[in-house]
Amino acid sequence: MRSLTLLSLCLSLFVGCSFKSVKPWQKESLAKPIMQFGGIHEAVSKYEGHVYYSKEAARGGSGVGGGGCGCN
Amino acid sequence: MQLNKYSLIAILALSNHALLHAENYVTVDFLQYNENDNRVAVSAPSASLSYDIGTDLNVKADFVNDAITGATPVWQSTTADTSSGASGRVVNNTGDYVYKNQSFIDTRNAGSLLVTRRFKNRDELTVGANFSSESDYESKTFSADYMHYTDASHNRSINIGISGAFDEILVKSISNGGKDRDDDDKGYYKDDDDYDSESGASRKETSNTINFQLGVNQILNETSSLKLDAFAVLSAGYLTNPHQAVVRNYNTSFQQLGDESRPDKRTAYGIALKHIMLLGDSVSLNSNYRYYTDDWQINSHTLEENAYYEASKNLTFGAGVRYYTQTAASFYNASKDHFTDETYASSDERLSQFDALTYKGSVDYKISDNLSYNLGAEFYEQSTGLIATMITTGAKYHF
Repeated sequence: MRSLTLLSLCLSLFVGCSFKSVKPWQKESLAKPIMQFGGIHEAVSKYEGHVYYSKEAARGGSGVGGGGCGCN
Repeated sequence: MQLNKYSLIAILALSNHALLHAENYVTVDFLQYNENDNRVAVSAPSASLSYDIGTDLNVKADFVNDAITGATPVWQSTTADTSSGASGRVVNNTGDYVYKNQSFIDTRNAGSLLVTRRFKNRDELTVGANFSSESDYESKTFSADYMHYTDASHNRSINIGISGAFDEILVKSISNGGKDRDDDDKGYYKDDDDYDSESGASRKETSNTINFQLGVNQILNETSSLKLDAFAVLSAGYLTNPHQAVVRNYNTSFQQLGDESRPDKRTAYGIALKHIMLLGDSVSLNSNYRYYTDDWQINSHTLEENAYYEASKNLTFGAGVRYYTQTAASFYNASKDHFTDETYASSDERLSQFDALTYKGSVDYKISDNLSYNLGAEFYEQSTGLIATMITTGAKYHF
């Protein structure tokens, strides 16, 4: 039940989304640094990923690169 | 119509995706990570370089050094003779047992090299190599990722990626009183021809992991994008944590403290959904969800929200919260009186059922057109009792 609730909460974030053909000259907002999926600090994202990798069991979903660790 | 910097770049690059790579920069960053209860502390400086060679080729390299000290909880004998080191181990199986911190110290060096080739229609092929080295662990990863635009306006792209990780682990067994059979030994127990005399490891194990990812990136409108990825992670080989122990046959004449044991295969699948939108002119909201499941019976949900606010041309604030939950592995149990002769057994709390919350904030200050500084803080809390803080700071120089 909790999983369904979480999934519903997640999907609700996308309610109202609609596809629109966006021309190149209409992509000013999408080109902003704050509009990148990885956040504005790539190094911080990598630090976070390594912490989560070493402290949690789930992995994957953030790209195919990167290496593991023998994390104690 | 007057075009500003972003508009010009967007038109030239034809997509915001391509914009990600259309710059040369150097970054230096530093992480200070600390856990509660005198557990793990990590100081990790890193550096990164991204350089465009012409318009169709980008090379990116990065390096990080982790200096790791502290302790991690593991079952130990109350009468144990413990030793510190990268693989500080308990070697005495007598007496009672307690789950407490085992100290260790280690250094990790990791680096990667990525080369991206852009084609005429701005499709991209990225190939990479990554290495990570610790005193008792080495990992080499090779990856390839292809991104293809499916429409002329570059509103939708698909990407497919694959990587292979090849790991080597030095193992110092608890079983047999800390002695183990050497690979090259004619006898049964550890002696002068240990596999690794420095660490005392008696053998080297290997594991391989293949990671697939297939995704689609869709621009929804002028202010929002959606990204959906499906992934599979297939691991085989020695997947046991060589630092962890379990108690078997407790309170019997056969009671023993021994190595934990995990299946030698692990198959995981999942999806990751990301949505980013601009609110007004200066606030972005980034929503992420990931579902994960594997054949160790671990199911996980991750939900994350990050917001950035451009307070001025030079100042950007960030804030975020992340919720994570997972179920326990089928062979996990935290008790010392649970395991008997099971093939697979682990008391590693990272395989337990738990929830975790992360709160974070950051500030980014642009000193000039070329130079910016950032400072961030994160607070991480698990229902297992683990609490950690992360302080990050760094600088980025464009050239």
